[in-house]
Amino acid sequence: MIGYTLRRVPSALLVLLVASWVVFAILRLAPGDPAVVLAGPDPSPATIDAVRHQLGLDQSVWHQYATWLGGLLSGDLGTSYILGAPIGTLIGHGLGNTAQLAGAALLLAVLVGGAAGMALGTTRRKVTGQLLGGLVSLMYAVPPYVSGVLLVLVFAVTARVLPASGQVSVFDDPVLGAQYLIMPALCLALPAAAVIARFLAASMRRVLDEDFVATGVAKGISRRRLLWRHVLPNALPPVVTVLGIQIGQLLGGAIVVEAIFAWPGVGLLLLSGVLGRDYLLVQDLLMLAVTVFVVLQSLTGIAHTALDPRMRDQEGR
Amino acid sequence: MSRNLDLSRRALLATIGAGGVAALLPGCRSAVEQAGDAGAGTPTPGGVLKIAQAADISPKTLLSQNNPNMAVCRTVFNTLFEYDHKTLAAKPGLAESFQLADNGATVTLKLRQGVTFHSGRPFGAKDVLFTLDYLRKDTTSSQLKHVAKAIADASATGDGEVRLRFNHPVSNMFDLFEIMLILDSESIGDLEKGAKLIGTGPFAVDSYTPGSGLKLSRNEKYFKHRPYLDGVDISIITQSSSMLASLRSGNTHLALDMAPLDAAAVRNDPAYELVVADPHDSTFYLASNVKVAPLDRKEVRQAIAWAIDRDRVLKQVLGGIGSTSSLPWSPSSPAYDKTAAQSYHYDPAKAKQLIAQAGAAGVRLDVVYNAGLATNAAIAEIVQYNLKEAGLDAAAVPLQAADFQGKLTSGALPGLFVNGHGFGHLNPATLVKGAFPFNADRNASNFDSAEYKQLADTLWKATDDTARRAAAAKVNAFLLDEQFVSDLVVSAHTYAITRKVRGLAWSMFDYLNLDETYLAGGRP
Repeated sequence: MIGYTLRRVPSALLVLLVASWVVFAILRLAPGDPAVVLAGPDPSPATIDAVRHQLGLDQSVWHQYATWLGGLLSGDLGTSYILGAPIGTLIGHGLGNTAQLAGAALLLAVLVGGAAGMALGTTRRKVTGQLLGGLVSLMYAVPPYVSGVLLVLVFAVTARVLPASGQVSVFDDPVLGAQYLIMPALCLALPAAAVIARFLAASMRRVLDEDFVATGVAKGISRRRLLWRHVLPNALPPVVTVLGIQIGQLLGGAIVVEAIFAWPGVGLLLLSGVLGRDYLLVQDLLMLAVTVFVVLQSLTGIAHTALDPRMRDQEGR
Repeated sequence: MSRNLDLSRRALLATIGAGGVAALLPGCRSAVEQAGDAGAGTPTPGGVLKIAQAADISPKTLLSQNNPNMAVCRTVFNTLFEYDHKTLAAKPGLAESFQLADNGATVTLKLRQGVTFHSGRPFGAKDVLFTLDYLRKDTTSSQLKHVAKAIADASATGDGEVRLRFNHPVSNMFDLFEIMLILDSESIGDLEKGAKLIGTGPFAVDSYTPGSGLKLSRNEKYFKHRPYLDGVDISIITQSSSMLASLRSGNTHLALDMAPLDAAAVRNDPAYELVVADPHDSTFYLASNVKVAPLDRKEVRQAIAWAIDRDRVLKQVLGGIGSTSSLPWSPSSPAYDKTAAQSYHYDPAKAKQLIAQAGAAGVRLDVVYNAGLATNAAIAEIVQYNLKEAGLDAAAVPLQAADFQGKLTSGALPGLFVNGHGFGHLNPATLVKGAFPFNADRNASNFDSAEYKQLADTLWKATDDTARRAAAAKVNAFLLDEQFVSDLVVSAHTYAITRKVRGLAWSMFDYLNLDETYLAGGRP
């Protein structure tokens, strides 16, 4: 087990190193220059050159790469060219907000998708099934940038019960924070909820056809007990696998939703970094994403090895 | 095999009930009501003004006039003087009075006493000198840097007095005094990082979250004994449609520079008002890189100026806000000439004839624009259509903002380009010496002319009205003839407000001025 973990480390480090080259090179290849953005609306060449020197962009590409990598290894993420603030602080703040949004969206996706999936998987009424099926298809088909606008139109502009945009942390003020969170989270959750509902419904129908359910009915077990204690637990494993994939998609979808609702998370931070050619900020954010992915992949491999004796044997050979 | 495990009616009702409770949760204490507390009446103090703007502030470019900083410049900081909008006379700001000498080459400024920065430190002559030095640095961006660099000697001549001696008489020195925010020397490092924004203005910065917004609170020691408002919240809402929704939901009281189509929606709604700023310093133009054939020929550039339907740009793209013009000046500028401004108008037949005469018919021309700005995209499409009508093979080409800006400043745009400029509303010297499209020393069009440089210098050094008008007339004739920049529409910045916002004001550089602003109903 320890040997397996240690063997994984070099390949993980190699992936991170290659990713750092790719991330660094892609940004330098993109047209545009942060010094020009920072030099203001009508800059002179002297101003642009001075800003470029101040940012260290007049150094060789290798020097810039080495400086950045050295900073990362020593825990210094650098300072944002455009926003001027330490990148660690910016990411910390943005990550907290995105985590709130993605967490709430995940909760909603599980609740809405779970309820819809159970209803869809157990109903015998044709009309109800068709209605629920149509609703779930709609939830999946409507992209967040459409559902976001519709939600704002209904709940913020017409009914005026929820704020159209902005953010208050749920940890600072839970009541106000929840109001700011509901619409973006719902908007982000709907497609994921639809996927969960479809998988859960299919899984429940499969389990309902199992013989042990017929036995339970014959023994007179109550409907509720049979559903919650026997059918649902057996139907959940494939849904949990899908849920894992949906978490990644929620984080990706957060970029669009954050822009619609002016939610100051990492998605919006990344977008502003790309538009302003804020090299360091974008490099750090992309490397963070790659690192999280690599760590999760490594942990998954380690967990599989721990859980599955056959894999341990394979590794041992 | 089917089982009778159907979802019961009770379960369904329970689910609906739970949903209802969840829906009622927001009713406990409303975020919407917090922002939009209703009321109407006299200017009573209190309340927090909620502002939405598209881009985050840019602390490093505070001394240049750019849109993201418009809401903080005059709310957190002050300038030395403030122009009267009708007479363009310099009214006191942090300087109470001035005295000119040496035929306008020396000015002595008497500074206001008893003013303190938000940190509590007293404001004085050294702060003015520090800001001038800071502005002259190569790393500082400002369109009025040429004025600051023309200062030969700056000194504190008394406890509250500063004397500036210029290399030569300068006609636009008060443009510098109007645009230049007086900075706090002690916190300048923190200012560049956005960590501390300390000024002398009516509001102090409580918090700034990059990418999210700022919270300001009233400066109780403000020398003008205002403002009425308790505070100001500035939110960054990148999407114009989201900004409109925020305004309509009551979350925002004031939206800065919404996209024209969204602004039109506000204008048609009696619950809101679209305020058009009177400086009219937001001008849209079509310019040529004169190093690219056939744009290196004056007659082709003139033909293009005849080809464009400016009325269509004004009505369809800018919602009728502004006026068509062949020159960069707004009606408030001393260089404005109503007749000359209408020199070029839509005449496709004439344009086609001139292009054919120049042998440029069918020539391929890119019309490049910043894809991040919906206004420029719409103008570029009209330009493309008009130029095809005139016999050119024009194609609108979008570029990402950073790419466009980079190519613009290096003069590397491949042909025609659509963009916007300011500085046509005050002293004309500021435009020909400081605004990049027209800068005689270096511009985006690569237009290099000894005659133009001389005209620009004469205009800059002309300190009396008669000489200035004569110089401006010559510049006008030159610009109309050369057409390296073809101005299309002189438009304005807009403020979309709810009806409860009263007393809104702005400087001649469109810095938002909230000294006298209040919310009808005031404190809840």
